[in-house]
Amino acid sequence: MARSEELYSAILDGNAKKAHAATEVAIAAGVLPLDLISESMVPAMDEVGRLFEAEEYFVPELLLAGRAMRSALELLRPLMVASGEKLSTRVVIGTVKGDLHDIGKNIVGSMLEGSGFEVIDLGTDVSPEKFVAAVAERKPQIVCMSALLTVTMPAMKTTIDALETAGLRTHVKVLIGGAPVTMQYAKEIGADGYSESASGAVGLVRNLLGAA
Amino acid sequence: MGREFYLELAAGGLRMPIGTDLVMHEESDPEKVRNDGPALAQVIERAARRWASPLAVPLMDLRLEKIDLLRLAGIPEAEAESYHFTSPLSEAMLAKLCGEQTEPLCAGSRARDEALACIGTHQDLVPVGMAIGPFSLTTRLMADPITVAALAGSGVEPGDSEDVRLLWQCLRISEAAVLRSVRSQIQHGAKAIMICEPAACTAFISPRQLKAGSNLFERLVMEPNLRLKAALEEAGCDLIFHDCGELIDSMVEAFAHRLHPVMLSLGCSRKLWEDARLVPADVVLYGNLPSKSFYSDGAMPVEEVVRLTEELVSKMKACDHPYIVGSECDVLFVPGAQDAIRKKVQAMMVEAVAC
Repeated sequence: MARSEELYSAILDGNAKKAHAATEVAIAAGVLPLDLISESMVPAMDEVGRLFEAEEYFVPELLLAGRAMRSALELLRPLMVASGEKLSTRVVIGTVKGDLHDIGKNIVGSMLEGSGFEVIDLGTDVSPEKFVAAVAERKPQIVCMSALLTVTMPAMKTTIDALETAGLRTHVKVLIGGAPVTMQYAKEIGADGYSESASGAVGLVRNLLGAA
Repeated sequence: MGREFYLELAAGGLRMPIGTDLVMHEESDPEKVRNDGPALAQVIERAARRWASPLAVPLMDLRLEKIDLLRLAGIPEAEAESYHFTSPLSEAMLAKLCGEQTEPLCAGSRARDEALACIGTHQDLVPVGMAIGPFSLTTRLMADPITVAALAGSGVEPGDSEDVRLLWQCLRISEAAVLRSVRSQIQHGAKAIMICEPAACTAFISPRQLKAGSNLFERLVMEPNLRLKAALEEAGCDLIFHDCGELIDSMVEAFAHRLHPVMLSLGCSRKLWEDARLVPADVVLYGNLPSKSFYSDGAMPVEEVVRLTEELVSKMKACDHPYIVGSECDVLFVPGAQDAIRKKVQAMMVEAVAC
């Protein structure tokens, strides 16, 4: 049985110390890292997302849950590298050039990581060139771009154009999000998807991968 | 100016966006205007007159207090926006950052203050100042403020976590920085100051934790703002409180009753006619048309702005609470979308007048 109720609960409660301890126990019991991720961590983050949608959890709970999940992943990553286990999907995420806001980006990154995706966080104020370089070097299946400001949103289009120019646009699905962003805008700039919430972004990534 | 002045403006049917940024971008070199006091004053005046408002509202540039604070810590302006403290501050640094502004203000702050003085020469305009709120500034001084605030809200004490210790330190220095900014603006003639606390919202402070008994909202938001309010009152300066974040009712009530601003400006996630029951009758509600979406004709067509304005006006009249129709926040210039934005601001104003 790979499910660790202690780890599941620790993530749900946003308790990083307990999550770390529960992971150590599970590893000592011989549970494989990928099984621990798929049977305890992913369901826990799915539940966190559900509680967020139901307005029982708020952004702080999402971030605490993400922190607890990362404390578990820190223990699992070296083991996965050693055993050759890999997460199936790689996502590059960043806040676009000129925009220093990272709350939405961090939440989506946490939720994706907790849902079993490998997340490469490029940070904030990410230039189109940096997105292009990350796609070329890290070969993700998904690129997520965030913007909080109306004035920085156009950088999403610039980045998509840069991916096109570099011949990489067809290699990735591009998702966008952020307070001023809309589905209409996503269509206008040629993005593959838009989500207004972090848990919605996880579902969208899953759908896009299924459709790919 | 006193509370009656704002109530009369509301009764007189004033409508106005917070639109100085939009007007500034009609200039050939907007960034030059931003740092040029007399030129900025002209833009502020033009914005006020365009919308027939006696309130001369400046740019909502919430970077200035951080820049001025970090100058005291020796951080250059070019690095200020992305700079975060990463470990607790020494007592000596804390004392320095909580003390007087020994370094010159940045060009943007100087221009803001000079513009206030210029506006003050116009008898028919009220020089309104602008400052970020202490908690919102705190969130800009740390890399991951939400998680740290959530840890504090879950009962983690400064002695247990360096991050939580830094959070409370950042709040102290932020309050001092905002107070310095506010005092400078009052010295330059501000008759009212808009304190902007967009981070005082459910994204940063969990209602779940509050329900469980956390006093985080009180300590992080209310206590410093109550002290700020007292300082404004002492100087005879009116408080306009702005928070366009997602709020729960108890937050709106706390702002309205305990900070008791002359105007309470809220974001479009709130229904002002429902909030009226949470707000004393002598506090003018301001807002809250969804100006952050004005850039997009798809997401927010002109017809929808007209509909929302009509709804707001009719429902506010029905609930009989003083209000001023306006934008949910600063109406920012968006390259390539300026015409769409202006069209909607105009629609909001024309429709409102027609009502």
